[in-house]
Amino acid sequence: MTYFTPYLLIFIAGVAGSLHCIGMCGGFACAIGPDVRGPTATLRRHLIYNLGRVTTYCFIGGLVGYLGMQFMHSLEGTPLVIAQRVLATVAGALMIFVGMQFFGFAKTKQHALNGLGSQILSQALRDLLKHPSPLAPLAFGVLNGFLPCPLVYAFAAQAAASGGTLPGILTMAVFGLGTLAAMLAMGGVGAIFHIQTQTAQVQTVPMLQLGREHNGNWLQANWRLHGLHICGAFILLLGIITIARGALPLALHTHPL
Amino acid sequence: MTDHSILCTHCQLPVRNYVQRREVNGELQDFCCYGCCLAYLVKHGSREEPVAAWLLIRLGIGTFLAMNIMLFSLMLYSESVSTLSTSLLQGIHILLWILATPVVFFVGGPFIRGAWEAAKQGQASADTLVSVGTLGAYSYSVLQILMGGDVVYFDTATMVVVLFTVGRYLEALARVRTTRSLMPLLEAERATATVIDHDHEREQSIVAIAANTLVRVAPGERIPVDGVVVEGHSSCNEEILTGQSTNIEKQTGSTVYAGSVNHHGQLLIRTTVSGQDTYWVRISRQIKQTLAHKTLVGRLVDRVSAVFVFAVLILGIGTAYYWSQNTSLEQALLSGMAVLVVACPCALGLAAPLATAIGLGQAAQHGIMLREGGVFEYLARLKGVAFDKTGTLTAHSLAVAKLVTVPHEKRVVLERAASLAQGFAHPKAVAILQTAKQRAILPLPVTEFQVHTGMGVSAKLADMFVAMGSIDFMHSLGWSVPRTFNVSHEPGNHSIVYIGWQGLAHGAFELTEALDPQVPPMIEALHAEGLRTYLISGDDPVVVGQSAKQAGIQEWQGGLLPLQKVETLEEWKRRYGPVAMVGDGINDGPVLAKASIGIAVGNATDLARASADVTLSEAVLERLPWLLKLARRVQKTVWTNLVWALSYNLVALSLAAAGLLLPVIAAALMAGSSMVVVINSLTAAREVDDSRATTMHRQAEVTPVHFLQHKKV
Repeated sequence: MTYFTPYLLIFIAGVAGSLHCIGMCGGFACAIGPDVRGPTATLRRHLIYNLGRVTTYCFIGGLVGYLGMQFMHSLEGTPLVIAQRVLATVAGALMIFVGMQFFGFAKTKQHALNGLGSQILSQALRDLLKHPSPLAPLAFGVLNGFLPCPLVYAFAAQAAASGGTLPGILTMAVFGLGTLAAMLAMGGVGAIFHIQTQTAQVQTVPMLQLGREHNGNWLQANWRLHGLHICGAFILLLGIITIARGALPLALHTHPL
Repeated sequence: MTDHSILCTHCQLPVRNYVQRREVNGELQDFCCYGCCLAYLVKHGSREEPVAAWLLIRLGIGTFLAMNIMLFSLMLYSESVSTLSTSLLQGIHILLWILATPVVFFVGGPFIRGAWEAAKQGQASADTLVSVGTLGAYSYSVLQILMGGDVVYFDTATMVVVLFTVGRYLEALARVRTTRSLMPLLEAERATATVIDHDHEREQSIVAIAANTLVRVAPGERIPVDGVVVEGHSSCNEEILTGQSTNIEKQTGSTVYAGSVNHHGQLLIRTTVSGQDTYWVRISRQIKQTLAHKTLVGRLVDRVSAVFVFAVLILGIGTAYYWSQNTSLEQALLSGMAVLVVACPCALGLAAPLATAIGLGQAAQHGIMLREGGVFEYLARLKGVAFDKTGTLTAHSLAVAKLVTVPHEKRVVLERAASLAQGFAHPKAVAILQTAKQRAILPLPVTEFQVHTGMGVSAKLADMFVAMGSIDFMHSLGWSVPRTFNVSHEPGNHSIVYIGWQGLAHGAFELTEALDPQVPPMIEALHAEGLRTYLISGDDPVVVGQSAKQAGIQEWQGGLLPLQKVETLEEWKRRYGPVAMVGDGINDGPVLAKASIGIAVGNATDLARASADVTLSEAVLERLPWLLKLARRVQKTVWTNLVWALSYNLVALSLAAAGLLLPVIAAALMAGSSMVVVINSLTAAREVDDSRATTMHRQAEVTPVHFLQHKKV
């Protein structure tokens, strides 16, 4: 049971964090839209998209987990506990930094989606949206997963601190599953939009370019802000727990977590 | 190897060694690498034709599969393999094989094809290195499975392919920024125009437009043809032709030039030349030629990089052989592959053309055209600049140099001359009016004003008939001209205007061409850069001396015949080193040819006829010092790029051969190394532009010229 507690926490944080996803990636899910062959095909389309997205997360998780493990091995001279603690402290600090951003502190100057790399990605994604191939959503999801996102950074830090490939993959997989419900829901929302008006797609495409500012049309700004706070709170909590694992005396670690 | 090469359709840089030819939207296009092909298809592939998206899907799926393979492999690396049963391990390996095959052959396909095509021409390219590396790792792994071995490298093979593809794509996207400032010029031949033909309009490529065709240009569009406005009025920005971002009013009867941007009004234009012969298209062709012309350094590097690929292949095989003799076969394979993958002939090949192309773009943006990229090499080494006075340093406006009058009449003469000159736009009239204004003399109202074409003007001033014009005009009126007025006709641009009344010429204005006000600061800037200046002219030595003094030019010599000019220049070159000659490019052709660098200065239409290394719109003569600074910067960037590329390859290859690099990391390094060259070149370019932070340039940022770059021109 105790082994699963951190994953449960990550899952809940993923669910809470998906309020952020709706704003950022929800537009993509909407834009993928429905399949003409009916609701089952639509669901399949969106599952494939999310499979791509979550696979990318898992890959990131596995990679940083592996690197974390390598880091621990590289400090072989020192007791393993110390290496683990260093990793946990750094990862925890990073998570707290990311969590603060959701409350408007520690804002980075540039909006994440403005970087050159992500502009290129967005352009690539726009082209994929228009392609009818059943594999397009998968490719779309894979690339989508690489879009810069503070949530992904936060959980990747957590994955690195887990200090192993498998726990790293699991951390990111659980986070990805947490965001799944909201993303699927957004896909459904997109489908409804699509049936009602043909202009739905026109509305979603600028979102890819403009990012956060235009999402107000979609969800009540206030409600979204609360969502972001909940999301930030969970990341902060996880960060504090992670940092505590690194910084607190060993005696306090005897009980679960 | 020829001096000229084909330009890549996407990045507009010369294609080195061999070309990748692809059909896009039914047209054959040439690309320098797979990255450019990918980037071009994504941007320009027609929406109905899903090739572009299909390439991205292929990349996406490849990434998906490669990531899955990597996940399995990472787990295998971290868990001790011995804990897994042999049959399970075998199963996983076969799964990895299934996953890896499409990645290696579909995503890696373009590399393999590139390598094959190069091989058919008896050459090896960067594609050869990747293909040999990945196919080697893939085949070894397959052999391992078939022979029951337990080490496979599907993760390495697939990751290298994916990283290479992504790296090439990103590089191509970044690279196109280097020629972005040239785009409005380069796209000239691709432009279309709205042709009006018997009351209906149709879109037509400018190549097919003949002279005397009616063309409609909407507000905000780029004018696609040279012609005369027959209807409507607007203002146009001719920055692309002159380098000066000022708006020029256009109305019925005005001449408009292709390439300029129409601002607020709709214009109906009758073309004067065919769409293929506009100045815009001509400079477009010239720039393409310039880009394709290989520089000295470029040619050398091409030769080196052709050999380089073979050397790396041999080194890779040698490395693998060495390690297989001394350690395990695994180590041998990984090291050999790392060598192949980490080598970056691209960075080497990009170093010179990239920096040069950016420089050419910047120069073109400022109204300066270079015959070839190699001109930068000479410009950077200049020790002096010689000017030809005629038409080069003057502003094409006149000034009153001398006024001779009957005694005690200076004021009256000026007042009456100014009265006749008012409201007459002739340069001579403007100069006279200005002189009067400088002395606070105001023109008086006139009646019965008349222009006598080719002779002068006349009018009634308070019922008195006054005439002003040439000496012939005075004689035709039967008026006498005092002997003292017969100012000797000195050589040069002097001309004399007489004014008279009541049967007698009362005054004579001697007019000279005024020095262009941008000249003295420019000369000063050249001196500050450590360059010598020289004025050589066929004009009267006294006049040349005066001009030199006004302009601040150090040395001068006048009264020279064209042949003497050449001798003087040669002598000067012997004494100080490379010298540039600035002239109008038409009359002083032989002198320009003898200089280390010939710089032609003139108006847009004249420049089209000029044959010089550099052509400079006269309106932007002041940018000459900037050009020299740009040239030095470009040369510096070329060398830093080369040094970086060489040292990168040296260090990376040594590390890889020593077995210290994993192939996956090597692939990432290699993708980064050519990006460094691109970024270094772009950053250096920004420095030069910032140093010339004039308001004009800032304005240019917001004018529709830049806005339109994103639109179909």
